[in-house]
Amino acid sequence: MDQLTWMLTRMLRDAARLLPSARREWAEAVRAEADLVPAGWPRVGWLAGGLWLAAKEAEIMRKVVYWLGIGAVAAAAAWAVWLSWHTSPAADALTVTDRVRVLVGVTALALLPWVGRRHGWFGPVGNSITARLVRVAGCAAVCGLGAAIVRMDRYIHGGPHGPAPFSLSREIIAAVSVGVVLTALRVVRARWPQLEAGILWAFAAMAGAVLLGVVPAQGIAIVYVAGILAATSRRSPATSASLAAGAMTGLAAGLTAALAVYELNTPDDRYIDLILLVLLVTTFLSGTLAGAAASWLRPGTGDPTELREARIRQGLLAGTASGAVAGLVLTDFVAIAVFMMVLGPLLGAAGGALGGAVAADHPRKPRPARSWAAGLFVRSGS
Amino acid sequence: MSRRSALSAQTLAVLAALAAEPSDWRHGYDLARETGLKSGTLYPILVRLADREIVEACWEDGEPAGRPRRHLYRLTSGGLAAAMAALAEAPAPAARTVPARRTAPGRGAAPRRLAGEGT
Repeated sequence: MDQLTWMLTRMLRDAARLLPSARREWAEAVRAEADLVPAGWPRVGWLAGGLWLAAKEAEIMRKVVYWLGIGAVAAAAAWAVWLSWHTSPAADALTVTDRVRVLVGVTALALLPWVGRRHGWFGPVGNSITARLVRVAGCAAVCGLGAAIVRMDRYIHGGPHGPAPFSLSREIIAAVSVGVVLTALRVVRARWPQLEAGILWAFAAMAGAVLLGVVPAQGIAIVYVAGILAATSRRSPATSASLAAGAMTGLAAGLTAALAVYELNTPDDRYIDLILLVLLVTTFLSGTLAGAAASWLRPGTGDPTELREARIRQGLLAGTASGAVAGLVLTDFVAIAVFMMVLGPLLGAAGGALGGAVAADHPRKPRPARSWAAGLFVRSGS
Repeated sequence: MSRRSALSAQTLAVLAALAAEPSDWRHGYDLARETGLKSGTLYPILVRLADREIVEACWEDGEPAGRPRRHLYRLTSGGLAAAMAALAEAPAPAARTVPARRTAPGRGAAPRRLAGEGT
């Protein structure tokens, strides 16, 4: 017990050093009073409470997750580069294209932590645990996708768009399209500052969906990363409930679709139509379910028409998220199904709008909001 | 302090303990014994109360023999008014948690105020 107490005392002393100077004395205060506490478990509990305080004040968990994320991104990027350079055939136009795409993708992933922390469309992350989880899991899934694409390039030369020849015009069109969309967003925002944020977000989502069909595979991954960051940022119009509904239904749909592909796949492609039907129907239904849930969970009072619109909008967002997650998860398992990363968000948006409209007239009964901020305030609105 | 927010029972207990004799400086273990709160609950509450300038904190003056200096706490003048108002509005069970005072070494000592601490 003495050794445990000694160890906790040392840990608390070291943990205090991690805190900002304005917070350090609080951890030191706990340590200074440990001698007053009866020896044994009471003192151990006291010191453990001090460690908990230090962990909360230093935001240690957040930093651990952040650096774990950076580590995962770095590892995935390094592995993708290594795989591309050491296992591809001799340098020809297609290989060079693949390698350039890998480098572009890796660079985009390397910029992730920086973009995600800047104040703007993509960051910082929203305050809810849902936003953090979706952001971390989404970026991890995109990293996994990058690795899957590179690995597939070893077997299907020409990349996930099929064994098509290298097309310089396609690469240029993709780059120009991305530039046009980004510029258009800025112009619209500057020219019509009074424009409703929802309209701007809808425009951005539609432009993103169009881009998905134009850009090469690594570009799709980058668009997905941008979408994940935007959807989970503090400025995102999607509520935590919509994010959670989209992520959960999309995950279920993606896994179901992957299972269907594995189970129904045959060498002679006998069930290819059935597989496609399963993919499309599953994605649409998951979007509908997510949209209905998001719409139902959207609280609010006031003008019924505006409230209904807001609920349908949340349904649309949740459905889009569900379709995107389903497409991403499926592509992680079955890289050739990359087309579902384009179709998924579109199908999900349609389903989400339908589900949102159906559920908009049947909202959940309102309950008082709750908060556990630092254990200080337990309810609001009183 | 947010006007729209109600205080938790634990926070009310801390405020009640501090408001019992608002001019006295109290240390953390003293408050923990009176309120029955663990350090992992008590200190985050004290930190937030100090952030909102309801509580002021400082280190004990001098170098006491045989023990480290203690961190001391008391309500600010604004904090006392806020605490009284919160305790008056609180439901009966929380208001009844105003603890009995005990004598503790270090309380009432003339403390040295730290720069930037809960002033």
